[in-house]
Amino acid sequence: MATIKESRPESRHAKTLVLDVPDWPGHRAGQHVDIRLTADDGYQAERSYSIASGPESPRLELTIDRVDDGEVSPYLIDDAREGDQFELRGPVGGYFVWEATETEPLLLVAGGSGLVPLMSILRHHEAAGSSADARLLLSARTLNDVLYREELERVRDGADAVTVHLTLTRDTPPADWNGWSRRVDREMLAAVGPAPDARPRVYVCGPTAFVESAAELLVALGHDPATVHTERFGPSGG
Amino acid sequence: MHTDGNQIAGLLEEIFGMEMTAETRTCQSCGETRAVGSHRLYTGAGYVLRCPNCGDMAAAIVNRPDDYRVSLFGTWSAEPGA
Repeated sequence: MATIKESRPESRHAKTLVLDVPDWPGHRAGQHVDIRLTADDGYQAERSYSIASGPESPRLELTIDRVDDGEVSPYLIDDAREGDQFELRGPVGGYFVWEATETEPLLLVAGGSGLVPLMSILRHHEAAGSSADARLLLSARTLNDVLYREELERVRDGADAVTVHLTLTRDTPPADWNGWSRRVDREMLAAVGPAPDARPRVYVCGPTAFVESAAELLVALGHDPATVHTERFGPSGG
Repeated sequence: MHTDGNQIAGLLEEIFGMEMTAETRTCQSCGETRAVGSHRLYTGAGYVLRCPNCGDMAAAIVNRPDDYRVSLFGTWSAEPGA
């Protein structure tokens, strides 16, 4: 069982839950957990949520994005309180993970809350003092939808090895905006780099349509499909 | 709309007793070898995994009250303790 220790809002529709899980074995950056809720009548709903905290963090943190007609996320965001408990399985997953012992360049491409597992990777990169060239491209609807905005700005300004690129797909960006304002396309991915011949390890996470499109563009640019790791979440359920 | 094999990492670990998404499967139809986590996942009454290259069936998993019914297709790697 997991117990909610505290929570904090990350955007209008996303919240980070800090959990206490007895005998938590630790996790690898990019892994997720399965949360199962059981109603009074025995009805069960299970969903997967990415771990946001880095492996070095003493706190286990999940960031939950609200799916308005979902069965689990509205409860976790609107109703769950400090001290509430639920069933949790994990950490799970071994394909969409990154270890700081890997020295190849790193390209992280996130659509919306697909940033969550990539944030765990970036936090791991920072805490482990990795010198691997890491580049993040985040596509968000509006500036207000960008998760961990202050932390991303701090990482961008502080770490030489990390670059952060943003593109906004719905908003008219602010006058001093120096990011992009369109959907991820081939030209954008080429500008972010690293070039395919640098053999970067690539991680793409977001809604299925976003991931399919970005992965296809990356392979068309010349990235080896075996180096492009993908994780999709569906439009429904939540 | 599909997601991918990562989503059932916990279920696969429960069934196989080991982490399976980083393992690979070679497709019986197109011959491609890809990570289980990168396979397409379709969710309905159960779970169906399909080859990310050709779309042929990789696995069907049905959860019954007391057990799972699992059909596997192609050649799966398994390196316990890796």
